[in-house]
Amino acid sequence: MREPLLHFLVAGLAVFLFFAWRGYDIDPASRRIIIDEAQVSRLGKGFENNFQRRPTARELDGLIRDYIKEEIYYREALRLGLDSDDPVIRRRMRSKMEFLARAKAESAKPDDKALQELLDRNPGKYASDSRYSFDQVYLSAFDPEIAGAKAEAVLAKLKNTSDWQSLSEPLSVPSRLDDTPRGDLAKIFGQQFADELTQLSDAPKDQWLGPIGSGFGIHLLRIRKVTAAAKPKLSDVRQMVENDWRAATLEAREAKAYQTLLDGYDVKITKP
Amino acid sequence: MRISIVISLMALTATGCSKEGGGTGGKSSGVAVKETAYPENVYFGDTHLHTANSVDAFGFGVRLGPEEALRFASGEKVMSTTGVPAKLDRPLDFLVIADHSDGLGVTKRIYDAPRLLLRDPLLRRWHDMMHESPEGSQRVTAELIDRAAKGTLPPAMRNPENQKENSQKIWTSHTAIVERYNQPGKFTAFMGFEYTLMPGGNNLHRVVMTRDGKDRADQILPFSALGDDDGKVEQLWDYMEAYAKKTGGKMLAIPHNSNVSNGLMFELTGPDGGPMSAAYARKRARHEPIVEVTQIKGDSESHPFLSRNDEFAGFGDAGWELGNLTMAIAKKDSDFAGEYVREALKRGLAIEAKTGVNPYKLGMIGSTDSHTALATADENNFFGKHTGNEPNGKRAIAAQNLGTREGRFGWQYLAGGYAAVWATANTRAAIFDAMIRREVYATTGPRMKVRLFGGWDFADADLKGDYVKAGYARGVPMGGDLRQTGKGAPSFIVTALKDPLGANLDRVQIVKGWTDRNGKTQEKIFNIAWSSPETRKLGRDGKLAAVGNTVNIAKASYTNSIGAAELRTVWRDPEFNPDLRAFYYVRILEIPTPRWVLFDALRYGAKLTRDIELIAQERAYTSPIWYNPKA
Repeated sequence: MREPLLHFLVAGLAVFLFFAWRGYDIDPASRRIIIDEAQVSRLGKGFENNFQRRPTARELDGLIRDYIKEEIYYREALRLGLDSDDPVIRRRMRSKMEFLARAKAESAKPDDKALQELLDRNPGKYASDSRYSFDQVYLSAFDPEIAGAKAEAVLAKLKNTSDWQSLSEPLSVPSRLDDTPRGDLAKIFGQQFADELTQLSDAPKDQWLGPIGSGFGIHLLRIRKVTAAAKPKLSDVRQMVENDWRAATLEAREAKAYQTLLDGYDVKITKP
Repeated sequence: MRISIVISLMALTATGCSKEGGGTGGKSSGVAVKETAYPENVYFGDTHLHTANSVDAFGFGVRLGPEEALRFASGEKVMSTTGVPAKLDRPLDFLVIADHSDGLGVTKRIYDAPRLLLRDPLLRRWHDMMHESPEGSQRVTAELIDRAAKGTLPPAMRNPENQKENSQKIWTSHTAIVERYNQPGKFTAFMGFEYTLMPGGNNLHRVVMTRDGKDRADQILPFSALGDDDGKVEQLWDYMEAYAKKTGGKMLAIPHNSNVSNGLMFELTGPDGGPMSAAYARKRARHEPIVEVTQIKGDSESHPFLSRNDEFAGFGDAGWELGNLTMAIAKKDSDFAGEYVREALKRGLAIEAKTGVNPYKLGMIGSTDSHTALATADENNFFGKHTGNEPNGKRAIAAQNLGTREGRFGWQYLAGGYAAVWATANTRAAIFDAMIRREVYATTGPRMKVRLFGGWDFADADLKGDYVKAGYARGVPMGGDLRQTGKGAPSFIVTALKDPLGANLDRVQIVKGWTDRNGKTQEKIFNIAWSSPETRKLGRDGKLAAVGNTVNIAKASYTNSIGAAELRTVWRDPEFNPDLRAFYYVRILEIPTPRWVLFDALRYGAKLTRDIELIAQERAYTSPIWYNPKA
């Protein structure tokens, strides 16, 4: 929202709205104020909402007096043109409009079709993770050159031994992982490891390879099995899809409400 | 930044299923969640996040509500209030939105109210100030906190009956959103709120969270302290008991910011000033098993005034040590002992010696207490204490907005902490139950993986095998009590694995506290494992040379060329006396890294004055393991 253009547009909108609203609500030129029954009960209701009880007769009279006073000052202020350059009024009206747009969208309910469409547009997001089964040998290494040499030496040894676990330096992560979702691997080893492992999904199975890096050092791997992510079923991920649908719909409707108004404008911008 | 969606398929190979749904609610889409036989995974979360429903958060400017907060914590991109797109590069595992119950949504209501209906001149002035500008809104909030502390809020705001209907609406819509985002096995969203007791500005706040779903949470309203100037925390405990009775559910309360309570959070005495009774101690311990020891408003583990032999005791103390939350009352030397958790743990032993009950048997967690609806805790993504100090070049040297502006500055905010929980699954039930048994630890942000087991026969050989299994089989994890079966001294398995995306580790320490023969409390810190042991040797005083420093101030960077990826050891207490009560907890220190202020300097050209702390050693504190000779 740091975009000056947007600020300008929104400010323009607020001014328009203000005049539009003023137009059908009150004629500032009029000096006649009518407080009808509906207005009185609106005042009473507002009081009730705020204070959790009905106003007394005196309080109601006070509300009416106050309303009249506000009405008079309001009209006089409009007559003097005080509204036209007041940032408080503008901001207030803008937030009111945004609130209205949002309130409407919040009550919306999605049907299965809409959700299925959203799911189909982005199946990867809702898919269960791909899963990996592999063994790993950890080697501490900060200097990449030393790491490379170390990895090569250990890789050579791994080819000739079944006691692979003894070649790993101690580290409190599992040396044998079974059917572990990719996201869990990212948590254990860091994102870099998960990404590099993904690159190796099609690499030959059951033989030592690597190294790949993690936040701890480097790892030699023997991948046993990779299970690709399953296509998500709506019934399994419905809540997640619905949450996203709701968030996206709110945003879209707000944007659309604004766009509709904006479309009715002819905006000219001259930059210095 | 990348999306990392963690969808656990473990459910498909389930061996045992949790009792989710038995009141703990949540949408699991019909997929059962596997619980492991013992905690295999640590889950990181924030138990203390505020959104636009919090009086002060809204006043400080935040416009993001619970939905955005949950989306952000679970890894989605949201737009921050100040218009910066924000996304966590690593989603959290769980979240408690803890909006202030006191005046829930009331600032928003003052803001939205038709001006006409605000009869109270003060409310009307606040309404106008809030609409005038963000600065005006922040001034309102400062006044509000001040008045809440002094008990001089307008009657309309103090009367809980007035608030009730409004709170009801906000609460049920809040619980509906939380329920929608709770996804057992993937992301746990808890129901909770913050109880904001602060007589005279002395912070006695508690985060309250439930184990349960919407069906139970909707039977109650968040409990508020505002209605009663003479509020007592016992009223909160009564409320929690009433909740359990009424709904069959469970709640726990988490004290925080004892560091600005002016000695009141962990008193030696009972509420009437006399000796603490066993009944009171028991009640407190039952409802408050854990404490939030580190967060944006400073760190409450220790203070150099209390721990003169601890060269690391001063972390996160600057500024906060000057007075209470609102700075209405300066701190006296005699206040310190009631403010810091290490001292509270010691006091707990002393009270137990007298009454037989330990009121301060506290596990430790960290959290953010962020008021931006964004649960960030890393130095390179600090989104600010509140929307008034979301990232900008001036926030480090700006006076803080809390209460009066004396002596506290932006740079003294920490980037926030997280709660680490060893649980058998990522569900409400499993995480809550782990908190009850205190199998938790605090981190100042980094996601280090820390294990602690206490027993009588652990030996180095255990580290060669499956020490976790051994730990659970022959000992107790963090938060537990040493069973009195051993001969000789207790031994502890301690392992600390660095955050895979974070800094290396400097050292692991055991903090031991005990009551001596005269009933006096004592403490001692043992360095038990550290990096580069070939070159760093323990001195005769037990101290260790500093690990070094690789921080590049201009680039806000560091390298892992020093420190270790993991530190592990089995440690036996060399000074054990079987007749004396004791506790043992672990403190892990990372190597020095740049604080958030350096990222501000790099990104926004923030000017940093000489008094500002630029680097820090981030850390983790485990819950203690206790030894009681009479147990």
